[in-house]
Amino acid sequence: MPSVARGTKYDVIVVGGGHNGLVNAAYLAKAGKKVLVLERRHVLGGAACTEEVFRGFKFSVCSYVVSLLRPEIIRDLDLPRHGLEILPLDGTFTPMPNGDHLWRVNDHGKTHREIARHSRVDAEAYDEFGRAMQAMCRFVKPILSMIPPDPATLNPKELMKLLFIGRRFQGMSSEDKYNQVQLMTMSAIDFLDQWFETDVLKATMSASGIIGTFLGVRSPGTAYVLLHHYMGEIDGAFRAWGFARGGTGAISNAIADAAREAGAEIRTEAPIAKILVKNDVKNGRAVGVVLGNGDEIYADVISSSVDPRLTFTKMIEPGNLPDEFMEGVNRYKFRGSSGKVNMALDGLPDFKCMPGVGAHLRGAMSISPSVEYMEKAYDEAKYGHWSSHPYIDMVIPTLTDTSLAPPGKHILSCFVQYAPYKLAPGLDWDTEKEKFGDSVVDTIAQYAPNIKNIILHRQVVTPLDLEREWGLTEGNIFQGELSLEQLFFLRPVAGWAQFRSPIKNLYMCGSATHPGGGIMGAPGRLAALEILKDGAA
Amino acid sequence: MSSERPMAETRDVVIVGGGHNGLVTAFYLAKAGFKPLLLERRAQVGGAAITEEFHPGFRCSTLAHNTGPLRADIVRDMQLERHGLKLTTPDVSTVSLLPDGRALVLYSDARKAAQQIALWSQKDAASYADFGAALGKIGKVIGEALLLTPPNIDNPNSGDLWGMLKTGRSIRNLGKKDLYRVLRWGPMAVADLVAEFFDTEPLRATIAARGIFGTFLGPWSAGSALVLLLRAAAEPSPNPSPAGRIQFPAGGVGAITLAMAAAAKQAGAEIRTGADIAEVRIKDGVATGVVLTSGEEISARAVVSNADPKRTLMRLVDPAHLSPDFVQKIKNYRSMGTVAKINLALSALPEFTALKAGSQSNSNGDLLRGRIQISPEIDYLERAFDESKYGNFSRHPYIEITFPSLSDPSLAPVGEHVMSIYMQYAPYKLKNSDWESQRIALGETVVKTIAQYAPDLPQTILRHQIITPKDLEETYGLTGGHIFHGELALDQFFTMRPLLDWARYQTPIERLYLCGSGTHPGTGLTGGSGANAAREIAKALKK
Repeated sequence: MPSVARGTKYDVIVVGGGHNGLVNAAYLAKAGKKVLVLERRHVLGGAACTEEVFRGFKFSVCSYVVSLLRPEIIRDLDLPRHGLEILPLDGTFTPMPNGDHLWRVNDHGKTHREIARHSRVDAEAYDEFGRAMQAMCRFVKPILSMIPPDPATLNPKELMKLLFIGRRFQGMSSEDKYNQVQLMTMSAIDFLDQWFETDVLKATMSASGIIGTFLGVRSPGTAYVLLHHYMGEIDGAFRAWGFARGGTGAISNAIADAAREAGAEIRTEAPIAKILVKNDVKNGRAVGVVLGNGDEIYADVISSSVDPRLTFTKMIEPGNLPDEFMEGVNRYKFRGSSGKVNMALDGLPDFKCMPGVGAHLRGAMSISPSVEYMEKAYDEAKYGHWSSHPYIDMVIPTLTDTSLAPPGKHILSCFVQYAPYKLAPGLDWDTEKEKFGDSVVDTIAQYAPNIKNIILHRQVVTPLDLEREWGLTEGNIFQGELSLEQLFFLRPVAGWAQFRSPIKNLYMCGSATHPGGGIMGAPGRLAALEILKDGAA
Repeated sequence: MSSERPMAETRDVVIVGGGHNGLVTAFYLAKAGFKPLLLERRAQVGGAAITEEFHPGFRCSTLAHNTGPLRADIVRDMQLERHGLKLTTPDVSTVSLLPDGRALVLYSDARKAAQQIALWSQKDAASYADFGAALGKIGKVIGEALLLTPPNIDNPNSGDLWGMLKTGRSIRNLGKKDLYRVLRWGPMAVADLVAEFFDTEPLRATIAARGIFGTFLGPWSAGSALVLLLRAAAEPSPNPSPAGRIQFPAGGVGAITLAMAAAAKQAGAEIRTGADIAEVRIKDGVATGVVLTSGEEISARAVVSNADPKRTLMRLVDPAHLSPDFVQKIKNYRSMGTVAKINLALSALPEFTALKAGSQSNSNGDLLRGRIQISPEIDYLERAFDESKYGNFSRHPYIEITFPSLSDPSLAPVGEHVMSIYMQYAPYKLKNSDWESQRIALGETVVKTIAQYAPDLPQTILRHQIITPKDLEETYGLTGGHIFHGELALDQFFTMRPLLDWARYQTPIERLYLCGSGTHPGTGLTGGSGANAAREIAKALKK
């Protein structure tokens, strides 16, 4: 009884209903295309999903805070009308083993005084640093909404793009140039060392330089990721992070809603087995997909939001693609390095260094007590062990959004690094999983001992789970490392950074394309614009 | 007041420091018609490229123990052969020792090397040639950039544009594949780069070691691939050996700088040793000469410093003459050394288990004539690096050994030998300890490490010379003990060496110039920085 769908033909089939796939679909549908989104799982959103893992507790299972979502997308898709509401996440609280703490909040005066408590010099430098970072963001932001140029062609349009970047660079003050260059090349710590002297401040700030990468805070290149996370913009305020009411899944649902309103059709539990390629042109031409159940659905354009490894080695018949391209695909680095531990709590954690329920619990709580602590966590991972003393970024969304848990109960969402996808010989994630979870709880307990007594349920998400359940190859949350050699016109494959692929009418629109990961939506949008430009659909 | 003291006649150009780059600059400036006076603090010129007797009858390349290699045009222009330089290239370039008693032998000749690699992996033998060819193509282009004076980014002059255009063109001529390789490889971790080509772990590690040499990077550090590319680019060859060729001068590395000094003198430069500079004299933001520690003052039309940027601009120059912002940036210029040097006087050649006659053809120590590395695997190197991050020297260090007395027996008494050893990592800053108290422990660690591969080494040692990063700073004037005058990294390379806006051999002090390894291209013993600097300085002074 297959081929229910036989006959129905779409302009575009979007592979995967993650936030980028949905953004891609929404833009194409708004442009009048007949779009079908196919999602393997029962929920939409990919890694930006909310699931009731335990009765009454709605977890943002993977991605848990939002900041990078492009304002033009929020505007174009009118997401607030479709239910998107961003709730503020104020500040970062870093407990220290010596009983002290560092608590930075959005209130400038407070933060200034707090940092001055550790170092007056740093308090001053902190303001300058913020200004410098904003200048950097202003330089990089337009690049985020730009189709990467192809430096290997002589096509004047491409060269103009390069020139545009060059001009913008020239346009900066030599101070900003100096910072920009360092930011693109240095390690987070080398960079921060130039500004600050307080170890805990550097440690906790450097954390955003390593999130989702298999790099340490001392690895060159991490300074850029620092910026990537600084770019967060909500209501125009730089560096603003927040929760989506209803969890990050609510973001995906809002986008999906916008897409449907524009006429897109969205199916869940519709896994794709193969992308159909017709060999009537060089390297072939994508003409449709085959579902897991054998159904074939046809379309003029296939837009894949899953990563290149899945798209080109799992969904495409081998032999359809040029060797050089496949080399690039197979070389593309994933190397997941992080995990999630989500807990249902009977109460709130009580920090030794700041007892009681306070505003510090409403923001992010960061276990990043020292630079050495951060780097040692990385060292373990390099040799295939999850960090026995990991970097942890925690939030308690239920203090901001009570709809997520039963009254009086809470959710503790912990992002944990490092949890290397590839473990040392003799170790495997299925047996390490709960040990890993235990060590996370132990680590938190060193700062908030009561944690152990208030855990009702615990969900551990390993890189292997991210791969199996969410289709993130090697558990990389960005669909591929954000390292210099995999950015901009090199993402995901040198020469193929413009969302197209060697196969005609097969496009890429996921985080593995420029400008990369995070709930940003930019890849989905840019890919849609390219598809429309080609008039392929 | 000192300034009232009668002064010697005004000199044309004074060059501070007689390292190889200082000598090269002196030569080219003399050729350009100037009368440079080169002042060297120590009793002999050569800086880090010297041969010294450290035990009666035993002479060794004290620091650097092989060429960078030298830039061919510099060897030609200075006629170094005529001035006594004799370079020899051993058949064996690199022997990599493994704990299991085996050794990977790489010959200078790419084809012979491939034959050896085939014993480990046919595929790698083929890849070795491919990698060499790629390094050759890319190296040629980078090599051109190394000849350039970094362009002025803000308002490039016609020369800059022409240079950029030329490099731009040759980059395009690389073709898409290699063009993308340049872009992709530069920022990569060298461990990833070698893994793209090779399966054999010892081969990966042996080649990767070139990417960490002299730097505060591990093989897994992004950007370490650039160091490998730069060193390959310095090799003037259509298909450089991925493991690197090695050349030894007869008489040790000091013979290079002696020949350079002779060439510079003949060209008309004057060289004074034992002349220690206390400060560069500056009047209204213009360098007017130097003051020696003896109190003697020498005024000059221009001062050129071969010393590293930090020593020059933070010690020889009174920072009061510089903007606080510039001083801050120079402070932040990274120059934390990671290399120590151990020289041994030996009563006999040690016997390496892996190289016993029979196990490998090693008649009269042929296999010891190149570079002998202890870099068995990538993780070994990375672990060695890990310790240095926390302020300890590596307990199981990366080691590079040469026997200068094999290429030139006159360096040691008959039948006896000198062994020259690079040790990495030895971080300049030790955590709660200092180098004076760690000196012995460092020497012991190195000997112990090598003894695992050559058990009889300890019995043959007549004398140690242990040179810590602190010694490199105090005795040889390398700030932070950094052998490259500052970290070779993407953020301190080309237009950013030593600083963005100050990569053109000039400084904020008018008529004070830099010509040392802290300027572009600044990769080891090539003379590149000195030659580029001389070109710019001559241009500036003729205006």
